[in-house]
Amino acid sequence: MAVLKEILNKFLILNGVQAAMVVQENGEIIESMKSGIRLDEEMQGVIATLMLDSKATATSFGDAPLSMLFVEYADYFLIIGPVMEEFFLFVIAKNTANIGQITYAMKKNQEEIVSSL
Amino acid sequence: MMELLPEGKSIGWMQAPPQWIFSHTLRFVGIVRIVIQDGEGFILINKGKALTFYFKHGRIELRGNAALDYFNSNPTIEFNLSKYTPEEMAEAMKICHIESGEPRQEGRAEVPAAPPAVVAVSQAPEPAPAPMPIRSEPVPSPAAAVPHTDSPAVEGARPRETGPETGARSVPERAAVPDRQATYEAPVQPAVPLPATIDEDDIRIISQIKKLNGIVAISVFNDDRNIVLMGDVEIEPLLRIARSLLATTRKITPHLDWGQFVHMTLQIPEGNVIIAPYRENYLCLLTTRTINIGHIRRILRDLQVNGEN
Repeated sequence: MAVLKEILNKFLILNGVQAAMVVQENGEIIESMKSGIRLDEEMQGVIATLMLDSKATATSFGDAPLSMLFVEYADYFLIIGPVMEEFFLFVIAKNTANIGQITYAMKKNQEEIVSSL
Repeated sequence: MMELLPEGKSIGWMQAPPQWIFSHTLRFVGIVRIVIQDGEGFILINKGKALTFYFKHGRIELRGNAALDYFNSNPTIEFNLSKYTPEEMAEAMKICHIESGEPRQEGRAEVPAAPPAVVAVSQAPEPAPAPMPIRSEPVPSPAAAVPHTDSPAVEGARPRETGPETGARSVPERAAVPDRQATYEAPVQPAVPLPATIDEDDIRIISQIKKLNGIVAISVFNDDRNIVLMGDVEIEPLLRIARSLLATTRKITPHLDWGQFVHMTLQIPEGNVIIAPYRENYLCLLTTRTINIGHIRRILRDLQVNGEN
């Protein structure tokens, strides 16, 4: 998992990114890198809710696969993107971060993440 | 008849109960073009006063109260609001043989097959009953959401900006084509009171968003019902998704100290569903995959900032 940490660290280098993690669709965190944010029980509950609910909602679209989930608040936003099968990349960033840069990094590093899992 | 009327400046197509028109046109001067099944008609409105009602299907014409009753017999109708300048309004009134902005007295008479002119209505409709709740079930839990097959046709759907061709699937089947033998019952009165939350400015804003490249449909909704929809999509499946997303945000927001909720976007291969707070209601946007999300984000943020001022 050291390799995975290295890959996730590439996201933390991006301006405004506070956390990058690989999670399972049940919300379990496989690996994470964070900076200035706590992944406490409450946050884990949020992650689990988002993963389960977004999958259920996408399923109600005729069993469509989830391409991305983006939730924005005044100060922060989060992006969830699929990596492979039941694994997803979960990024939390300040609202000053560049979304395009993050989503590009998600696509660019997807294969590397897959091979490290 | 309809083709003679001035085009006006279109504000947008939408679907709502007929009563919605009368409760949201107090400052509106222009024409409301209505499409029901294969027929079309119009209401000429001058600052809340409905001057005339007209509907035509094939060779059958309904005028005045007969047309109004037919509109009211449909829980939801599809219509377009087009603003008139004073000159255009005057021209439209001339074409409809209306001499002043005041509705003329007229009874509920049989409509002749080809009367010489549109008959003005006898009275303005009852004020502002609420739109019928399209769906009043409780918000479904996303975790319990059952897959269904009647998902919105994102790929096939397209903005309705042009002619009044039929095909709006949300137009109910019972809105059957009127004929001479049809009896027109009293207008259906929706039971739920209408919160005065959408005005002409809202419609203009929503219409402007709808016109953006990549927006398939836009809806203003709340927990009880769809308030207004612009776009040629089936509202119920879209609302189910929107309410699912909304339920998720309500679960997570209390646990996040991240400030005010701005929007949630669910991206699937067919397109995006976006929900965002809009005053005391919510917006739901259905977009293509090619949409510029950055542009939408800016608009949604601006809406919230303006809504607070």
